[in-house]
Formats: sequence, C-alpha cells, structure tokens
Amino acid sequence: MKFKLIYPKWEKLEGQTIFNLPPHGPVVMAAALPAYVDIEFVDENVDTLTYDDDADFIGISMMLTGQIKRGWQIATEYRKRGKKVIFGGISTMLHAEETLEYADSIFLGEAEGRLEQVFEDFKNNKLQKVYNYLAVHPDINTIGPARRSILNKEKYYHKGVRMVDLFHASRGCKYNCYPCAVAYLGGKCFRPRPIDRVVEELATIDNNRLFIVDNSLAQDKQWELDLFREMIPFKKNWCSHPIEDDDEVLDLAAQAGAWFVYQAVFDTSDYIRDRVKRYHDHGIAVEGTILLGTDDHTEDDIKRLIDFLLEINLDLAEFTVLTPFPHTKAYDDLLRQNRIIDKDWNHFNAGKVVIQPKHMTPERLQELYHYAWDTFYKDETQSEKMFKLFRSVIMKEIANGTYKPIREEMANNSFGQKVKR
Amino acid sequence: MIKHFNKDLNSDYFNEVYDFKGQWDVPSRCGLKVVKNENQTVVVATELYAENPGTSVTNFCAPLATVICDDFNIDHQTMVFIVHTPDAKSKLSFMNENFFRVDFTRDGKKFTDPKWSQIEKSKVDELIGITQKQ
Repeated sequence: MKFKLIYPKWEKLEGQTIFNLPPHGPVVMAAALPAYVDIEFVDENVDTLTYDDDADFIGISMMLTGQIKRGWQIATEYRKRGKKVIFGGISTMLHAEETLEYADSIFLGEAEGRLEQVFEDFKNNKLQKVYNYLAVHPDINTIGPARRSILNKEKYYHKGVRMVDLFHASRGCKYNCYPCAVAYLGGKCFRPRPIDRVVEELATIDNNRLFIVDNSLAQDKQWELDLFREMIPFKKNWCSHPIEDDDEVLDLAAQAGAWFVYQAVFDTSDYIRDRVKRYHDHGIAVEGTILLGTDDHTEDDIKRLIDFLLEINLDLAEFTVLTPFPHTKAYDDLLRQNRIIDKDWNHFNAGKVVIQPKHMTPERLQELYHYAWDTFYKDETQSEKMFKLFRSVIMKEIANGTYKPIREEMANNSFGQKVKR
Repeated sequence: MIKHFNKDLNSDYFNEVYDFKGQWDVPSRCGLKVVKNENQTVVVATELYAENPGTSVTNFCAPLATVICDDFNIDHQTMVFIVHTPDAKSKLSFMNENFFRVDFTRDGKKFTDPKWSQIEKSKVDELIGITQKQ
C-alpha cells in the first residue's frame, strides 16, 4: 500500500533568516507504520507537491497553526480526486473540530501501537472519522528510533551546511506555562524515555548536530544526569530548551555537547542575568526567547527588556508576540475578555499581532516587535551572531574530531533551490 | 475528595472537585460550588490548571454547563454560571484571581455560544452568600 505523507508549507516570518529543519513529527509517525505500508514523504517547505499520483492513502502531518489552512487546501484537492485523507500532528490536535471538516479521518494523540488499526480500517473501507488517543499515551518503552530515512536529506542543506536533526528524549511536560499547549498535547506528566532507548536512537543518527526538541529537559534531575552521561560518547553537539539550573547538570550537559539553549527571558531580574551567566560559565551559548505583549508589558517595559538583553550578552534573541494558541491559558484568558481580534489562523505565527494588548494598541505592539528585532541586532546582525555561534560549534568539532567540512558542491544551494552568493 | 488539589488555591469558591469528560472525551476536572438560592442557582466552576489533566472550563464552557445543569437538576432558566480563575500565586498579573459570569444561548437541551463578562469578587460573594471578611 502506498501512503503519501505531506507536511504542508507555511509562510515564513518577514525579515527573518529562513531555515528549514527536517521535521520531527512525520519521522516519528513513520516509525509506527505497519511494515506493509510504503511511504512517500513530501515536505512542502522544500519539495514540490503534485496531486496526480498513485498513492492509495494520503496523510497530512501538521505541527504549526500556520500550516493548517494549507493542509486543508491540500486535503480538498486530494479528496476531489477521490483519495482518502487522514490528518495528524500537533496542530491537528489543537484544531481538531475544524480539521475534521476537511478530512476523512483525524488522528489525535501519539502514534505508537495505533496505526495498525488505522491502516486495517482503511484497507477494509472502514476508516473511522476520529481516532482519539488523546487521553491514553502509549507505553514510553515502545517509542523507538524515529524513521529519518523517509527524509530527503539533501534538501536540508543551506549553502553546503547541513541543518540539525531533530530528536526527542521525553514527552509530556509538568509545567503549565501561560502561552504553551504542550500540557494539553502531551499530558501534564513528564514522561522521560528510558535512557537505553534514547541511546539506541542516537546511534542511528548520522548528523553530528542535533536539536533536542523536548519541551524542557529540566524536569527530572537524575534522568537528566543519566541522559547527559550516556550522550558524551556520541560526541554530538546540540541545542535544546532549558537545562536544569544546577552546576553538576550544566557541567555534564557541556561534556555531552550542549551547544546552545533556548531560554525564555521574561523579565529584567537578577535571576535571569545569573541564569544566562551560569550557562555561559559552562561554555553553553544562550538564545533568548522573548515574548512581547503580555498584560504585564507596557511600552517602557518592552524597551527596558530589550536594553537588558543587550546587557546580559545573549548570543541570539528571538522575539515573538503573545499569540493565543488554542488549549493554552493565554487563549482562555483572551477569549473570555474578547481580546482575540484576528481569527485568521495563518496570522497565528507569533510574528503578527492577533490580540488586543492591555497597555497599547495592536499596531504599537507590532511596531515594538520590529523595534525589538532591529534594536537587538543593530550593532551585530543576526547573520553575524549566527556565524559566531556556528564557528563555536566548528571549533568544538575540530577539537573532538567530528568536524565534517561544508559540502562545496552545494555552496550555491539552499534547501534544494539555487541561490546567488 | 480534594486530596490532589493544590491547597494554596482559594477554596471559598469550590466544595468539590468535579470530574467531567472534556473535549474529545478527555478526562477533565474543575472545582465546583453549587449554591441554590430561592430564585436562582449559582454555579462556580474553578479552573484547576495543573490539577486538571484535560480540557479547561473556558474551553468547554457550554457543554460543561449543560452537564452540570443535568447532574444537579438545575433549572437552566435560573442558573447563573461563573468561571473562576484562581490566583496562581505568581508575580505575573495575568495569573491573578478573576471571575467571569457566562451567558449562554439555549439550544434544545444544550447550552451553546458562551459569552463571558468579568464580574467583581464582591458580586460573586454576594451571589453565593459569602460574608466579606473584615
């Protein structure tokens, strides 16, 4: 049986460097497919999608809210051609009711151990409208290596440099952060994968640079220590979300190849200043993730926050505006207050203001968002700062003997497209 | 009955933890206080945040109000439904305590189309008969 799995494209944020990373959800899903299923994967961000093909069954995997309208379009085209379409992935779960209108079936939850039933039903023309596994998570021991062989690896290069591969060591999250839907999607309980299964997966990845996509690694200190200890021999360099603020953990993380972390910077406190310094003391760079437009932010607060970012020597900063994704407290609060002013899901990209801020107009928040990017990168551009970060990882790789030179034959190529240098 | 509940949260506004099937039948939970007065029944449904494994009260307001109405034999015409978001003990102002009265459209035996309006805590206290502490 031929199964065509499509990852819809989305509109990239204006003015930002475009990077297309190999997606994670589809490769995790593909690992759970029955053996008799032949899969063709199309990442519309790097591949051209054509509709007239011989696939038996169409899957659409969506991670971002900004993908869903495109996903619905694709489904509509295939259904016109008489193909059955099933949706899955994070944003299918966040937008399930709406997506159902464009689908023959939607899959909610995690795929391991569940796809045999889906494909049996498809073969028997008994596809169910909803496969609902939201409330019951699969045994964490059953989560094996993702199936990265479905990716066209040549497409994930920018000017000869290979992008990081995505990888996960846990699911769920015990935190319940204001703008985040992970607790709804993966459960409010941290579910670390057994270390031996993580090691098994690491051994399958030929990329020496990774993005550990777990929501926060700082959820179980002993597991974190065990994980980093076991990662050391692999000599990977990686970025991740926050690591435990603990010298022993940070030291082991650095030995295990921690390259940089995404750290939320939500105020101008000494706590944040010290947190960033401690990462730096361990040789771990920091990309600040800064959310603008919460109810605590006046214009002055935002400007003060940006000055603070420059003071604490962040290696990179990424600014977003508060965006109320469904199944977050932010969404609930703003919904009750009737402050969601734009319901076009394509605008829910965290770069466009879709809410009425408490202390300013939406237009002013939009201006401050651009001001934040411009001010932070005024003296040293984003490309220059990225280059410094990139140089640091090359130095580490040269030191431990894992450096792979850039591919000169792809120097004029970016994500499968020719570029001018 | 409320042994799992974070005791830091204000319990003046719930008497029990109410389990319900949320969106897509996900097991979900809220705090609940039902006060039957002479002319109306006041229902306060409290968001439990981390203690709720599933759908929030806000996200499931109309179906939840319908189920509570049926469970407690409440006359839907005299029900006053209030969503309580308790103080999460954070320095962030948007984690402070708030109350919202919810008005619905009645469609057959169901509530639909929730509309929220924020109300003062003193008004809620008045509705449920809490005497203001001096």
